[in-house]
Amino acid sequence: MIFNSELSAQQQHTTSPVVTGGSVIALAYKGGVVIGTDTLCSYGSMAAFKNVEKIAQVSKNTIYVSSGEYSDFQQVVKELAKIDRSALQYDDGVHPSPRDYGNFLARLSYKKRCKINPLYLQNVIAGFHNGERYLALVDIYGTYLESNFVTTGFASYFCKAIISNYWNENCTLDQAKQVIRECFKVLFCRDCRAHDVIQLGYVDEQGVHVEQPERVETKWDFNGFKTRANEKLHTQ
Amino acid sequence: MNYTEILSPKFEPETTGTTIMAVIYDGGLIIGADSRTSSGQFVADRCADKIDYVHDRIFCLRSGSAADTQTIAKYVRYYVDAHAQELGRLPAVATAANLFRNFLYEYKDSLSAAIIVAGWDPYKGPQIFTLPLGGSVIEQKWSIGGSGSTFIWGFCDANYKENMTLQEARAFVLHAVAHAMYRDGSSGGIIRLLNVTKDKIEREFIDYKDVPVK
Repeated sequence: MIFNSELSAQQQHTTSPVVTGGSVIALAYKGGVVIGTDTLCSYGSMAAFKNVEKIAQVSKNTIYVSSGEYSDFQQVVKELAKIDRSALQYDDGVHPSPRDYGNFLARLSYKKRCKINPLYLQNVIAGFHNGERYLALVDIYGTYLESNFVTTGFASYFCKAIISNYWNENCTLDQAKQVIRECFKVLFCRDCRAHDVIQLGYVDEQGVHVEQPERVETKWDFNGFKTRANEKLHTQ
Repeated sequence: MNYTEILSPKFEPETTGTTIMAVIYDGGLIIGADSRTSSGQFVADRCADKIDYVHDRIFCLRSGSAADTQTIAKYVRYYVDAHAQELGRLPAVATAANLFRNFLYEYKDSLSAAIIVAGWDPYKGPQIFTLPLGGSVIEQKWSIGGSGSTFIWGFCDANYKENMTLQEARAFVLHAVAHAMYRDGSSGGIIRLLNVTKDKIEREFIDYKDVPVK
């Protein structure tokens, strides 16, 4: 993969992100893997793009989402989509498995990290192949980790505890989805760059299913919120 | 280029990256604010009250460093209280504004604080004083502040009218703050409104589900 910016030694690509996508949470369940992400792309602190559908289907049984610089995400989607197309040239009916995509992305990320010109992304690849679930995290340096659950960004701080307590790898799809929704409720309350409209996508034996964006319900009408310290100073 | 520097998180001081607003209408003024206090990307307080009491009919809206503005407001509250005790009547809004100004001006190199002082007094009725970063004092009929305000200058310039009624002013503030919260990552949560008139103070809590723009 040659990136045009690397042809000129002076040019740097992504040293600080401009348009960024939010946290991604992925959980394996009995029969597949489900990924959740919100539908917001931020421009610094501004919530610039609010209806972005970020779950990319890269092959019949693999989905890919990432948090970080959105243009890098779009570029990687293009690169991953090329893999299956170029595999057709072998004309042997063999399609790359989800693990092939994960490995490719890890190698690509590491190569760019070595050139001090990283893809500013935390990547999540999920798939279902030969009766087996696949879920992997590839970070900005090219670190590759396969796991049953994966979180990126702020979700790594807030949501791992929720996932530990309410999820197990053999739960149902609905249970896994509900855990993800709960995680995004917390994120919406505590992450400045989060949005309460999320999108879920899952891969199972039948293939890839990406759902319509949905809004998560958060609670704000606590009595304590309504009557706060400043109230007690009022003498009326 | 320091590679590790770009990729490691930095600790950011707690600020009220915020949206605050005050508007004078025919008979009083409406104050509005969001409820998010952020520490970098983390929401430290999702239900903050940024409308600070200074005196019975004087309030301040804080933006910038939470520590700086809370401390200054505390001092000014004390000074205004002592002054009102001696005066025996309601203090002037301009007095409170001037006390804030002294802090912001004398310590301008050390502080990160921008404040809107809004209130009613028996001498000049409802007044709003904007005190930006350097410590200047500007009297206005309406004022917006905080990081979220950048997104609603156009909206406010287009929709502000002189001598609005209470309902019009309330709707104006509610929608303006909602629009700012919609786009500013550092503003969010619920909206707090306050109506200040000669006779009374009315607080309103707008739940997230009732915010007009989401």
